[in-house]
Amino acid sequence: MSKLKSFFKSINKENTKIFFKEKGKPFLKNIAINHNYVISLILLLILGQIASSNFLSFGSLVNLMRSSVVIGIIALGMSLVILSGNIDLSVGSMLALTAANTALVYNSSESIIVSLFFALIFGAFLGFINGIFVGKAKVAAFIVTLATMAAYRSLTVQQGQGGPILINQEAYYGKLREIGYGRFLEIPYIVWIFIIVTLLIIFMMSKTKFGRYVYAVGSNEKAAKLSGINVDRIKIYIFSMTGLLTGLAAFLYVSRFGSVDTATAGKSFELDAIAAVAIGGTSMAGGKGFVQGTFFGIIVIYAIDAVLTSFRVPSFVNDLIKGILILGAVLMQKVLNARRQAE
Amino acid sequence: MIVEFKNIYKNFNAVKALQDVSLTIGDSEIHGLLGENGAGKSTLMNILGGVLPPTSGSIIIDGVKYESLNPTQAKELGINFIHQELNLVNDLKVFENLFINREVTKYKFYLDKEYMIEKSYEIFNRMNISIDPKVYVRELDTLQKQLVEIARAILFESELIIMDEPTTALTNTEIENLFTIMKDLKSQGISCIYISHKMPELFAICDKYTVLRNGKFIQSGDFKDIDEHKATELLVGRSIIEERDIKKESINSEPIYEVKNLTCEPFFRDISFSLKKGEVIAITGLFGDGRGELSEALFGARKVDSGKIIKDGKTLPLSSIRRVMKSGVGMIPRNRKERSIIKDMNIMNNVSMAHFNAKHKKPIISYSEELERFRVNQKVTNIKVGSPKDPITSLSGGNQQKVIFARWFELNSDVYILDNPTQGIDVGAKFEIYKLINDLTNKGKSVIIFTSEFPEIYKTSNRCIVMYKGEINKIIPHNQLSERDVMYYSTGSNRKENEDE
Repeated sequence: MSKLKSFFKSINKENTKIFFKEKGKPFLKNIAINHNYVISLILLLILGQIASSNFLSFGSLVNLMRSSVVIGIIALGMSLVILSGNIDLSVGSMLALTAANTALVYNSSESIIVSLFFALIFGAFLGFINGIFVGKAKVAAFIVTLATMAAYRSLTVQQGQGGPILINQEAYYGKLREIGYGRFLEIPYIVWIFIIVTLLIIFMMSKTKFGRYVYAVGSNEKAAKLSGINVDRIKIYIFSMTGLLTGLAAFLYVSRFGSVDTATAGKSFELDAIAAVAIGGTSMAGGKGFVQGTFFGIIVIYAIDAVLTSFRVPSFVNDLIKGILILGAVLMQKVLNARRQAE
Repeated sequence: MIVEFKNIYKNFNAVKALQDVSLTIGDSEIHGLLGENGAGKSTLMNILGGVLPPTSGSIIIDGVKYESLNPTQAKELGINFIHQELNLVNDLKVFENLFINREVTKYKFYLDKEYMIEKSYEIFNRMNISIDPKVYVRELDTLQKQLVEIARAILFESELIIMDEPTTALTNTEIENLFTIMKDLKSQGISCIYISHKMPELFAICDKYTVLRNGKFIQSGDFKDIDEHKATELLVGRSIIEERDIKKESINSEPIYEVKNLTCEPFFRDISFSLKKGEVIAITGLFGDGRGELSEALFGARKVDSGKIIKDGKTLPLSSIRRVMKSGVGMIPRNRKERSIIKDMNIMNNVSMAHFNAKHKKPIISYSEELERFRVNQKVTNIKVGSPKDPITSLSGGNQQKVIFARWFELNSDVYILDNPTQGIDVGAKFEIYKLINDLTNKGKSVIIFTSEFPEIYKTSNRCIVMYKGEINKIIPHNQLSERDVMYYSTGSNRKENEDE
């Protein structure tokens, strides 16, 4: 428990530094205005605790984190795409196709390193295809990724002949499962991976030229181009990077489940990822928002699920309530933003 | 219509946009409203148009007192608003835009297109312009869009027309046509509130003036009692040093930037000129001269069919903007809001944009280094900011433009292409921009300035290239510059004479 606390503290410290540098406003006010998803999360945690006294226990919090990881990493990629003023609907299918092939690669190689690299490169390649169509052929990202969403899924189902692709049980229990279930300092590996990747992306978006270009392209593409930014190339990079992150998510997916159901794996993940970005306060028009918002956004989504379960809400209406809460959170941000602008 | 503003206050939270403003606009009167950006002109007009309610005070229209108006009321009273920003729907046709929200119908539901198109032709004829009402607004250029916007306001019965900088994209001929219509309207008893930064226009058309400064009423009176100098002083609240010392002596250095037979059909063809070190060339013309496209081509932002540009003896790599920048050419594009400002970024990050592309070697950004660079640039261009981390949109137009200048000054280029650099900014800021151009040439930089305002050409340039229909019609040296000649060549009159012979 205390370890978890110190872990959250360390994250907050890391973030507060960034918050302070970004705005220089009093910390609490800044949280309330720019990062109000933190408030949503705290409210949800309190609600959860009321519903079941076990909710805030170390074990269930770790579970909450662990279940967010796969979509969380995808959502980080989605933040980049959305910040640049685009959208990627193909992430769910991309995950399934990459996961299916990673499973096959693992079956034949039985090597974690080989499978990991395969997943990353294969994912990046699928994203690159999206990027070429968006960046070079100038087709709207919505259309391109709608098409590849169907295409990637179809390829996956064809590979599995409609059924699942299983990992060789012996090989799985020997090594790969350790990635999905093993722990370091009581916290699962995959949660560590999620946190590290988040920090890397935060760094990339706030401290590198590339990050600056992504914001510029999302905010005003024409101005970005006339400042000498190679907008087409930036878009290709962004989609490839989203593919790369999806590849990583696919690898973790395989290591956690040991099999890929080709028809359903990753289905509607794109929606949860977009919802996480929206809850995290990123503008759907691009150019405005923070990656750390997405990190908390995805935890909020899973916390909603968990809270509803603890209140014994029938699972059929889960999505209804989730939808309402997402709309509520985004509306709240709108109101706060309007107030900020009035100030 | 007689409109009387009485003790109008308007606060946007802590910001006092208007404080105790009272003024009267009489019957059949063209009233010029003067003020720098942020003086409160637009706020006041938005109150009259019903877009904003005043915090306190009242508006008395023909003896009826209103605490506040709503847009429908304003329309019913016959108040029409020509906005500074173009409020047209690009995906509708011209006549559909003219009649938007006031469509004429047959049998209740069926749109009477023939009637609306006919009416549109009528109004365009009256304005002496030829725009086809049946084309999509998307296909029009800015100038034509502005004309459509004006047509929309005078199409319907009005008592008062508010024109917020209606002429920013218009050429002199169109402006004259507009003025003829305004005089015509005036004789029918219709009043007009005319907001503009262009002094000659205000003096040409307006009867009365009112000056606002920092949200406060300064002075009202007749235009015939003041001159441009006085008006500028009232506007800025201080006197302005007028003239710049243009280097009138000829510049005898080697050409640094040579354009050779640049062609981009159908916009311009066979453009050749050379720019010397420390020289300022103005390029001007009228609508359809291909100036805008040429400015882009000079910077590598538009693909050309043939021709080349030589800088320092080397051919400029026009296929990549970034490489053009690295070769020492900088560009301040026209239409700041659309092409320069990155609205979601703060002031400091906006300044850094070009630097990162052309100069910054490392992939990682250092905050302290960026701030340091900003401070240096701020001093050079005299940007007035609270905090460098404020959003760029919190600045006035003039200050925004200085931020963009800072973005490019930082690159220390040899040649600067300025495309309409003083568009929509107030007099005070304009002079500061001219001063910046002067500083550039003093440092031995060369400048190509694209502009349609004669005073600007006169104040800044050593030579003036006049374009006509995509070709260079005439190059006029500074000592032979006159507004009449610039007009003569930009309308292509010399060619017509030749044809007649």
